[in-house]
Amino acid sequence: MGYFQNFIRQFRARLFLVIFINNALILADWYIVDRVVRLTGWWALAAIIAAPLLTLGIIPWLSTRTLTQPTKFLWQAIMHIAPSTAGDVPAPKPEQLHLGRELVTNLISQLYQLASVVQGVEKTNVKAAQDLHINFVANSLPLPLLALDKEDKIIYANESAAKYLGAPATDLTGQNVYTALDMSFMSNDTLNSWLTATKGKSVTADRRWERVRIGLPGQHGGLQFDLAAHYNQDNPTGYETLLVLFDHTKAYSEDDQALGFIAMGVHELRTPLTLLRGYIEVFDEEIGPGLDPEMQRFMRQMDASARQLTALVDNIQNVAKIEDNQLTLQLHEEPWPEMIEAAVSDMRLRAGVRGITIKTDIAQDLPTAGVDHYSIYELLANLLDNAIKYSKEKDEILVSAKLNTDGLIETSVSDHGAGIDGSILPYIFDKFYRNHRNRAQIGGTGLGLYLAKTIVEAHNGNIWVTSKQGEGSTFTFTVVPYNKLEETSKASGNTNITRSAHGWIKNHSLYRN
Amino acid sequence: MTTMEPDTETPSRKRVLCIEDEHFISELYVRALTKAGYEVDVQLDGIKGLAAAQTDTYDIILLDLMIPGATGIEVLRVLRDPTKTPKLRAKIIITTNLEQRDDARADIEQQADGYIVKAEITPHELVAFLSHLDG
Repeated sequence: MGYFQNFIRQFRARLFLVIFINNALILADWYIVDRVVRLTGWWALAAIIAAPLLTLGIIPWLSTRTLTQPTKFLWQAIMHIAPSTAGDVPAPKPEQLHLGRELVTNLISQLYQLASVVQGVEKTNVKAAQDLHINFVANSLPLPLLALDKEDKIIYANESAAKYLGAPATDLTGQNVYTALDMSFMSNDTLNSWLTATKGKSVTADRRWERVRIGLPGQHGGLQFDLAAHYNQDNPTGYETLLVLFDHTKAYSEDDQALGFIAMGVHELRTPLTLLRGYIEVFDEEIGPGLDPEMQRFMRQMDASARQLTALVDNIQNVAKIEDNQLTLQLHEEPWPEMIEAAVSDMRLRAGVRGITIKTDIAQDLPTAGVDHYSIYELLANLLDNAIKYSKEKDEILVSAKLNTDGLIETSVSDHGAGIDGSILPYIFDKFYRNHRNRAQIGGTGLGLYLAKTIVEAHNGNIWVTSKQGEGSTFTFTVVPYNKLEETSKASGNTNITRSAHGWIKNHSLYRN
Repeated sequence: MTTMEPDTETPSRKRVLCIEDEHFISELYVRALTKAGYEVDVQLDGIKGLAAAQTDTYDIILLDLMIPGATGIEVLRVLRDPTKTPKLRAKIIITTNLEQRDDARADIEQQADGYIVKAEITPHELVAFLSHLDG
């Protein structure tokens, strides 16, 4: 308000000055005509009228410039920022102004501020329009979509994601993806491990996982998805990682139910198998010694086959249990050489039928292991079974065990069989995976190595394979010595530590170790 | 002067009660156990099995879980309940082919003295297992 009062005062002063000068000139003119020049009659009248006419012409002409200058400056400022003439009119310089400089400077600065606000609004509108576009596409997408920032925090979740995860998108954003999504993967190759590896070395990368379980409150077993991820380092939108989920719960749980159904059917084989093995034993003991060598060989072959069938039934039952999250481990202190010997001596018969020998090489000073007796037996039996299957007749299989440099008990089963093609090595621990080239010659369910891996990982160990085609394969796994088991587990559970073997690898590092 | 009676003539042979409804399996077990020097009785259902067990004349009870009458678990519960059965001298071994949830199995194992999956052992191995039982 102060600027305006000032301006009025200045304006009034100037107007007063102009009128004063005008009146003074008229008076001076009258004085000169009357007293100095002493004109009379028509001459005097003409001179007196001429003076006001003259000032009427000159004074407005002279004063208008000054009085209208503020308006001109404002006009200039408006034209300077107006979109249609922007650039044609130079910016006004209010410091040159005599009248109302403060007011005009202030008005012009207000104008510029307004203009910048308008410009900002315009820009926001463009972005809002773009966001609306993205939102529309993302929300119309019938697949859950999540965008993560550099720190793996969710910065965008579409409506479908919110629907599947049962939380409003606004609740999801800001959460760490591993906290928001209780994801479990089929193997150690998880989103977390992939992202960690990718961030170090790639600018963009894509990846897809099958059978990712996402645990949801109130949903038994959770939903099963395929997960696709796109990584783009330093993406200007801030969306560093995009995740899309494909719901395959129905298809996958049908598979699992089928497995459960098979397991149920296979269970019925147990009684006949019990009998078969019992009768074979009776025959072997009572008439075996009198039989000729060929018949004795047949008897051994029959026994080995019955045992193999029993092991197959056990494998199917166990995998079905794992799928149903019902395999639990009872960790006890076990002498390791005896564990190995128990499995090896049981498998010697099967090996012997094909003239294969199993040798052991176990380090002397091994500590006792903290393991589940039943599942370790199954693990060793499966690795030996695998080695026997892929060995040639009269081959030798070596089982060795030692304490490795990490203080873990490391056990290897080596054969001199056909070996494994490098291209399939990454998949051989997958469920139902089988070496297709060998499918015709070598039987199996494709469950043995999957079961082996699940058992080892439930024991917090690792399993891996090295292989050379034509030279054989070595499967190696680690188990934890009893004295290295978590002190807390030991304290709470005495010598009896129960651990769930769910066969699914939790994504989050919290769940490991 | 007293002389030791020969083993074969005294009733010192260990007595086994086999509660098992699958005739062919019990037949094989009886055969193997008798050969190994045990005296074996077979009961085909849970009720008769329970009554026989409560006579406390056995050293070992082999108890199948899937039996008619009363299930093995019910029999086990009664045998281990001090208000229904005075403490038995017999060791109770569960013999089954039933696939248990692991926690259920742990529960049964706590009450029994042993647990055997029949498909996993031969009669001969059963004998070996019993010979390792204490007492």
